[in-house]
Amino acid sequence: MTQINVNGRAHEVAVEGWESLAKVLRDQLHLIGVRVSCSEGECGSCTVLVDGQQKTSCLMLAGQAAGHEVTTIEGMGTPDELHPIQEAFIEEQGMQCGFCTPGFIMSAKAFLDENPDPTPEETAVAMSGNICRCGSYPYIVKSVQCAARKLGRRREEEKA
Amino acid sequence: MSTIDIPEPLAFPADPDERLTFKVAGKGVRVKDAIEKVTGTLQYGVDFAVPGMLHGKILRSPHTHARVRSIDVSRALALPGVVDVLTHEDAPDLVWEAAWFNYRGRVLDGTARFHGDDVAAVAATTPEIAEQALELIEIDWEILPSVLDVEEAMRADAPQIREEGNVRPPYVVDWGDTKAGAEEADFFKEAEVTFQSQQYAPLGRNAAVAQWQGDRVTLWTSSQTPSELRDGIHEALGIPQSKIRVQALPSGSSFGQWWSNNFMLVTVLLARKVRRPVKIELDNHECMISVKRRHSEITRGRLGCTRDGTLTLAEFDHIIDNGGYGFKDDVGFFCVDMWGRAHHGNYAIHGVNTNRLTAGCMRGVGDVTLGSVVERLADQCAEEVGMDPLDFRLKNQIVAGEELRMQHAKHSLRGSVDDYLAGLSEEERASMPPMFRLSSGGTHEILKRGAEAFRWRERFKGWGRPTLIEGSIRRGVGVGTGAHVCGVEFEGNSSAVVRLNSDGSAKVHASCGRQGQGSETTLSQIVAETLGISFEMVEAETGDTDSVPWSHGSLASNTMYRLGWGVREAALDARDQLLEIAARELFDRCAPAELEIVDDHVRRIGDATGADYSVGQVMMTLRTLDSLGPTSSITGRPRRLMPPATTFARHFAAHFVEVQVDVETGLVTLVDYLATQDSGTIMNPQVFKNQMIGGAIAGAGFALHEEMIFDDATGAVRNGNLLDYKLLRAADFPINGDVLFSSTYDPVGPFGAKGGGEAPIVAPGPAIAQAVRNAIGVWVDMPMTPERVLRALGKVA
Repeated sequence: MTQINVNGRAHEVAVEGWESLAKVLRDQLHLIGVRVSCSEGECGSCTVLVDGQQKTSCLMLAGQAAGHEVTTIEGMGTPDELHPIQEAFIEEQGMQCGFCTPGFIMSAKAFLDENPDPTPEETAVAMSGNICRCGSYPYIVKSVQCAARKLGRRREEEKA
Repeated sequence: MSTIDIPEPLAFPADPDERLTFKVAGKGVRVKDAIEKVTGTLQYGVDFAVPGMLHGKILRSPHTHARVRSIDVSRALALPGVVDVLTHEDAPDLVWEAAWFNYRGRVLDGTARFHGDDVAAVAATTPEIAEQALELIEIDWEILPSVLDVEEAMRADAPQIREEGNVRPPYVVDWGDTKAGAEEADFFKEAEVTFQSQQYAPLGRNAAVAQWQGDRVTLWTSSQTPSELRDGIHEALGIPQSKIRVQALPSGSSFGQWWSNNFMLVTVLLARKVRRPVKIELDNHECMISVKRRHSEITRGRLGCTRDGTLTLAEFDHIIDNGGYGFKDDVGFFCVDMWGRAHHGNYAIHGVNTNRLTAGCMRGVGDVTLGSVVERLADQCAEEVGMDPLDFRLKNQIVAGEELRMQHAKHSLRGSVDDYLAGLSEEERASMPPMFRLSSGGTHEILKRGAEAFRWRERFKGWGRPTLIEGSIRRGVGVGTGAHVCGVEFEGNSSAVVRLNSDGSAKVHASCGRQGQGSETTLSQIVAETLGISFEMVEAETGDTDSVPWSHGSLASNTMYRLGWGVREAALDARDQLLEIAARELFDRCAPAELEIVDDHVRRIGDATGADYSVGQVMMTLRTLDSLGPTSSITGRPRRLMPPATTFARHFAAHFVEVQVDVETGLVTLVDYLATQDSGTIMNPQVFKNQMIGGAIAGAGFALHEEMIFDDATGAVRNGNLLDYKLLRAADFPINGDVLFSSTYDPVGPFGAKGGGEAPIVAPGPAIAQAVRNAIGVWVDMPMTPERVLRALGKVA
């Protein structure tokens, strides 16, 4: 059995050597917010954080995540208590079909953790590892900028 | 000879001033599934499962055109975990059709008509075992002669791919006299353009889960057309529609890909054979090489023009490559109407089958291709007479009230506009707007207001003149226009049901898709506005064919205009029933017309201080005071026939762009973008601006990068993955890209709304091509890849 820590909980899973992290998260832990599309690291739909680092979980073997902290969209916020990035994507309507949205939100989380106050141009480049076929890009960039402001205000409040 | 005298605007029972009182319609309310989307809990087809479910995989043809002589599945069946194998011998000898002839064929018939075609399917306990078993199926193939080139396929001696032959009879739209049009012209501009095929490249893929209970089947899958899919299963299996339940789930980006697809029917047959639920999930590669693609097309034609910039002639011959199973011949090309001021015209469309991946309608079908050629030639006419492209469009494009050119649009097997009109009673005819005249809008308002917002007059420096030259960099601006339909009626009208519950909440049942355009939200807005109740009290069911009345679904920009019409009519019926009960039981038997519903309460019209009762209280009287009445609930249905939308409704887009071209590398990038649209009342601007910009980005993708590569020998798709098929990314589109809506109020559509999803993908190509022309002095065929740009500049051979 392999131990994987996901969203703050430890899970024991039986993992085949060839199984991707995305597959185990979806099929065994039922975290359907980990969206899989291209399975070759191009689209970014399956983006998760591993020890805070952005990873495409379709290209990572589940075994490689053993002992590490994995965060998926399910670990970000709940319907009653959304994460500020999730709130921002709703406010700025940074989505259409919604399939790519969790991946974008996870990429935004990793990006804003490193760059709390980005320019829109920096955000656009940072979000270019993910694909939105519906083409919501300008509104995704606005969502991430809005999230940066929200997180900034939260940090201010925490300081005060 | 046509006239550009503009008749009186259509007087249809609708009042533009009602917009001033909107409470829910036209507002940017939050989409109903927003929280599910940002928390990752929305369930798409790929997420769906039922207990006891097996997994299926489809065997795909390794040949371009071949017949199965014999098939041996014994080794596959011997693999532990395999439950059964479905072959063409299990499939009924019945032909099914997807909407608009996007697919016509048998589910499996022992013949492969393209490389990657469905041949057989395995059901096993895991997807991995099913996939492994595919390799153990042994087939003795008879290789048939094949044809990949669409013009070769048109020749009489070409290998015939289908029992109906390769070529459909041409579909022709014509008016006036083309000879006279040629004589009136002072000059002509001609073109021949071969288009590559765009791939839907769906993020999100798809899966189908089928479950049989006795002789009844339920299918869960992501689909934009639940009703049409149910009909397809009925045709393919020959079982009553009452035994079929489709539960359409939300899809990822679709653009017309996920209507009714053959893999869904394979799933149904496989589940029937194994008598257990089966799920077939397509991977991204399968989505791109086996399902569908945009038609590849060839346009030849010319425009005739006078020295004062008046179009006298439009003459086009257009070939669409349907691949193996597409059966289209009469795609509506609405550039025909948008440029309909041309005095004389003839557009002939030829639908042809080849042994390439089957093709079907993709967002903006026909207008993205043929439309872009008309635009380019119009631009060349404008340049010839020294006119600004904006002025040339204002001079030659349609506005409300003018005649449409597409007057006898047919739908070969299921009727035509003529049949439709012949079937109307005089009374029905009188209740409809004048036929064959544009009901509202056009390009003029958006061109003028767009030009102002974009500062077009200042930024356009003249034909072939860059706005900036700096080293190897050239910049230029362009404006392009596009049109598309607002739903098509031939296969039936789009109905809806609105149910009022005893607490005053309402549910609308309307058949359409959930591919990101927010229909469950916008249709709920129509219900809330019509009933006078709050948006939060309305929910929508769009996918369950056991509850939604028949509709085409989300295609042909149908949902807001035609399904929205049905929804509004059903809500009006529910409202009238409610007010009748309220008048009788609670307002001293007054006339129901003396009552209104405001903020979830029924009161006498304008009487804000007198008696009022909540909608829930009125509904409860059905169970109490009125308990001996014939029913204890209210079900609203449309009482009027939707007028035939193709005879008057179109939506329009005008896009303004500034591009940057590096003449050393050939790379084209977008610097600034404004998308404007005439779609009547915008039911939800928050949702719609996304759809407009999304169209602009997919259209820019088609203009700049997107192109399916087919193997010369086999027709196999060479770039069927997101690594090799390039899509635009966030940094590839101007982050300040903006939108602007017309003030049009359509007299027919619900609350003045029209269709809107497709024109946004039509206008980008022409705008970008013109901007590139202005930046570097030459026209470049799409997709304008660096290689094509350098070739056009004569820098590479």
